Formats: sequence, structure tokens, C-alpha cells
Amino acid sequence: MDQKTRNDLLQLFRGKLNSAMTYYLETCTRCGVCTEACHVYASTGKVNHISAYRHEIVRRIYKKYFKARGNVWPSVGEAKALDEMALEELYESAYSCTGCRRCMVYCPFGIDTQMIMSIAKLLLIGAHSEPEILTLLADTSIEKGKSLDIFKESFMKGIKNLEKEVVKKWKMEAGETAIPMDVEGADLLFVALAGAHSIVSTAAIFNAAGENWTLSFFEAVNFGAFVGDPTRTKLILDRILNEAKRLKVKEVCICECGTAFRVMKQLAAKQPFKVSSITEVHARYIKNGRINLDPSKFNGPVTYHDPCQIARNGGVIDEPRYILQHLTNDFREMSPNPTYNWCCGGGGGLVALGEETLDFRMKSSSVKAEQIKATGATTLVTACENCHTQLNNLNDHYNLGVNVKFLTSMVADALIQ
Amino acid sequence: MEALYHFVLIYMVYFSFAVFFIGTTIRLVKIFRKPKQATSLQIYPEKPAKWLWALYDTFLFPSVRKHKPVLWAILILFHTCLLFLIIGHLELFDEFRIFQIIPHEVFLGNGFLGLILCVTLLYFLFRRFLSPVRELSVPEDYYILILLFLIVIFGSQMDWARRWYGYEELLVEDYRTYLLGLLTLKPELPYNVVNSGHSFMLVVHVFFANLFLIFFPFSQSMHSFLSLPMNKLRRG
Repeated sequence: MDQKTRNDLLQLFRGKLNSAMTYYLETCTRCGVCTEACHVYASTGKVNHISAYRHEIVRRIYKKYFKARGNVWPSVGEAKALDEMALEELYESAYSCTGCRRCMVYCPFGIDTQMIMSIAKLLLIGAHSEPEILTLLADTSIEKGKSLDIFKESFMKGIKNLEKEVVKKWKMEAGETAIPMDVEGADLLFVALAGAHSIVSTAAIFNAAGENWTLSFFEAVNFGAFVGDPTRTKLILDRILNEAKRLKVKEVCICECGTAFRVMKQLAAKQPFKVSSITEVHARYIKNGRINLDPSKFNGPVTYHDPCQIARNGGVIDEPRYILQHLTNDFREMSPNPTYNWCCGGGGGLVALGEETLDFRMKSSSVKAEQIKATGATTLVTACENCHTQLNNLNDHYNLGVNVKFLTSMVADALIQ
Repeated sequence: MEALYHFVLIYMVYFSFAVFFIGTTIRLVKIFRKPKQATSLQIYPEKPAKWLWALYDTFLFPSVRKHKPVLWAILILFHTCLLFLIIGHLELFDEFRIFQIIPHEVFLGNGFLGLILCVTLLYFLFRRFLSPVRELSVPEDYYILILLFLIVIFGSQMDWARRWYGYEELLVEDYRTYLLGLLTLKPELPYNVVNSGHSFMLVVHVFFANLFLIFFPFSQSMHSFLSLPMNKLRRG
């Protein structure tokens, strides 16, 4: 690695050193309490998957270039130069971490491994060593935000074709629009994922609740956050923020996507509208009697997987359980749950990387498979697209024999007209 | 020998305290003045009175108690004994009425605090020899524990000799003369401090303590100050 590249990368590193990050890099005593926290370590037993080991990969570079003793006495902290080999270690560390933050619950200081891994991911972007597909997907999202007029018409046409699917789930009066779009002054802006499954069920529920809503032109998922690029993350987020302000909505509701929800709820600055997950909105409808559900639609024991970014990192814990009380008489809680719930193993962009990571995702999530099996449930429900894909893969790989369902689709299927 | 005593017991003490106080202050000011994290790093479910919970996490380590109960018990013992030993050292400067709420002889603990500290430090050290903590550890983790052990063992054996075997050559009054001299910038080394059978032990104890103070601001010992703000970030 030439000096200029190294200096550029160190400049990126320096940009991440706010007070919180510095606490995290200065404090770890390598006590090993986090050892059992990571699902990857718990499944593979490899020490390089222990959270403290992951941070140490980044921390050694920090000690070398950002602490005086990196020059005076580098060996005392095993300070390490930023070179090609270090980049390989950073990649291994960052892209085997799903950012679930379970280790943060174990650590006596509360060190946030996901934050530290964001340095690793940023350095990889700076060195053009990140998974290209994630950057490409992020750039596509950004481009869509820049040229809305070009794709607007074809998008609206595509959505129009979905309306009959929505009406099949919830019948409407003639003249009513099943999927309203671009409605200024709507109460709620719904941000979905690309794909009919993310829109149809939710639209039916909104219509059943008599919601004054409108569908966003943009997909919720933030590939910028997956790849760890703060600039791209913000550009992708800004498309939705600007749309919500233009339409003067009171609430932005994020579909079943953990990363999108956390980015919108916690990473966006204070906004003139409320941010909710679709699960919170559905629980509210049930509580206020705006929708009624038929619990006889589903047979057999049901369990729920808390998506890390929605539950442990987003605070939506009681709402899905409240909804499930109205959908089944045989709900079985996973153990441990929900703060200590095992990650599905698909976060941090791993599912988005598809087949490339499948083998690792399966090997690193055996504890999740065991956790599911122990419930004896035949239906496994979740509220995150990423988790849904990963749980389906786990179901096939470990022969769990469960039916993996989205919470939203269950609510839509149980609507009483 | 006298020159060595003067160097370690006076000049090196001033230098190491200067490095400790100035180094720690500058480092903390620099860290706290860095830009704040703009977004929440909270973990859920949240509880009201977040500051109180952050204090609870900082001083009682509930996550360690839950996952490593033996380590937790030893950590609590270590930190409690350390606190009492710091109080004991303050009492070597002067009498503090507040510390004598429960009347006691200086030092606190009748020699057992030092013994407990030695055992806990050996536990911390030897657990680093076992996988997977071994793979996580870096040299500074061992150095700090060895340094602390040396400080405690040389300091404690003076206490043990005085308390358990009646070897009272170096009295509290001698320490007070020496320490108050240092504090008032009129350093003097009383006859007993440099000529008793324990003088060499005292010099070794102070020497290692000086090394620790010099290393402190640049080591993970800074967790003493950073643990609370970090736990607050987690509590939201």
C-alpha cells in the first residue's frame, strides 16, 4: 500500500473518531465477558469471531496511528500498520459481523462493536475493497432519488397493477384508490421495499383501518448502511425525508426492514414527523379497534423472531407480541428473548450478498436454528425482510420444518371484513 | 543508595504524579471535546432514570454478574479493596474524620485488603493464560496486572509485617512526615523512612507505583473515567 493511499485511509479513520468512538477504542480491557455473545463464535468456536477480537483488529491500527505510544512502544498494545494484510483482516472482521449488537449487552462498558466495525467498513470503501454489489445497490438507490421524474410514471403504472391484489385482501368501495401515491397532506407515508409482497398486504391493512396514507416512491432499504458508507447512507435517507416534508405527512411508517427502521428512527435528525415501524402501526390499529383479526386462521404453535435492529436496537418489543396475541392462542416465546435474542445471522449486508455468503451464514447461525427448534413452533414469524430470507435459508438447511411468515402478511390474511 | 532513595521517593514521585494528573486531564478533555455522537446508541428495552441505571451498570457490572459470576465476585472484591486502599493511603497523609466513621487503625483491613488484592490480581493474570482470553490479550494486559501485583505485594508486606508480626520500625507518623513534605513541596525523608529494615521495600513499592501512574493515562486503565459515559450511551 503506498503512502498516499494509507494517508487517505487514515484521514477516513480520523473522521470517525468522535467522542463515543474514542471511548470504545480506548476502554476495552479484553476481559472476555463478550465471548459468548456473538452468534458466529457460539456457532463456529473460532476466536477471531469474538467481539473483542473483532474490535482489536481496528484498535491495533488506532494504537499505531492515533496514540503516541504507537511510535514509542508499539509492541505493548500490538499496534499494527495499515497495509494490505490489515485490510484483509478488516474485511474478515467486518463482513462476519451482522451488527446485531448483542455483544453490547454483555460488555461491562457497553462497547458497540457495530460502531467499531463501521470504521473497518469505511476503510474498505476507501481502499475499494468493499463488496462491490452493496455499493452498486446503494448507488442505484441514490440515482433513483436524483431522477425521480424519469421512473415515476412506470413505477405508478406498476403499482396500479397491484391494486387488484390489494382488493382481493380487503374489498373497497368503487372509486376508492387501493394504493394512493403522491398524496399531499396524507397522515402517513408508507415506505415499502421493492416487491409486491411488501406493499400488497400492508395496503390492505391501511385500507381496512381507514388510514389516510400514501405510498413512497422510494424503497426503504438502505444499502449505504449495509456497506458502512455514511455519505451514501445519508443520501439514501434524504430521499425519503425530502418526500415526507414535500407531502407534509404527520408520520413516516417503515415496512418490515430492520435496517431501514433503525436508520430512519435513530440516524435521522429530529424531523417534523413521527417515525414508526409497521409493527407499531398495526398494534395501534388493533388497540384502537380500527382493525379486527380472526385468530382461527392460523393453526399450530407460533413463535416470533425479534429482528435485532427493530427490537434490541429499535425498541419495538411489546408490539409484535400484542399483535400475535390476536393471531394465535399458542404463542411460544424464544429463549433467550428479546434483548438476548440470537441474531438470525443475515444482517450487516450478508443476506444482500446472496449466495456468496450462504455457506458462512448457515454455519454461523446454528445457535439460531437450535433456538427455533427448541420452541416446537410450526410457524416462525418475523418483521424484517433480511431476517425472513435468512430464516428461510436456515429452515431449509437445518430442516426445521417451520413455515416462515411475515407478521404483516399474517395480519392481512386474518383481517375480518 | 541515598541518591536512589531521593530519586524514587521524591523526584520520580513528582514526575509520575505530574504525568498522571496532567496526562489524564489532557486526554479526558481532548476526548470529551470531540464531536458528540449525533445519533442514539441505546439498547432496548429502556428504563426510566437512565442516569441511575448507568451508575448501576458502571459500579456493579450487572452484565458480568449475569454471564461470569465468579469473575464478577472477584472484580467486586478487587475494586472494593482498591477503594479502601486508596482511602488507607489518604490516611497516611493526615487524619480524615469522615474515614473514621468506623474507628480503625491505619491502614484499613488489618492487612487482609492487600492479601485479597494479591489473590484477585493473580486470578486476573492467570485467567489470561487460558483460551479464549489468552487470544484476546495483548502485552499491556499482562504488564498492567504484573505491575499492580508488584505494587500490592511490596506495599502489603510492610503492612503485614507491622500488623501481623509487630515489626513496627516504620510508623504512620514517619509516612505522614514524608508525604506531607511532598504535598507541601518541602520534601524530606525522615530517618526511619530511609534507614529502617523496610526502607528498601518502600522504595520498590513506590517505584512500581510511579511506573503505574506514568502509564495510566495511556492505558485501558482510563476505563475508570470512561465507563460511566459509555454506560450512559447504552442506556440512552
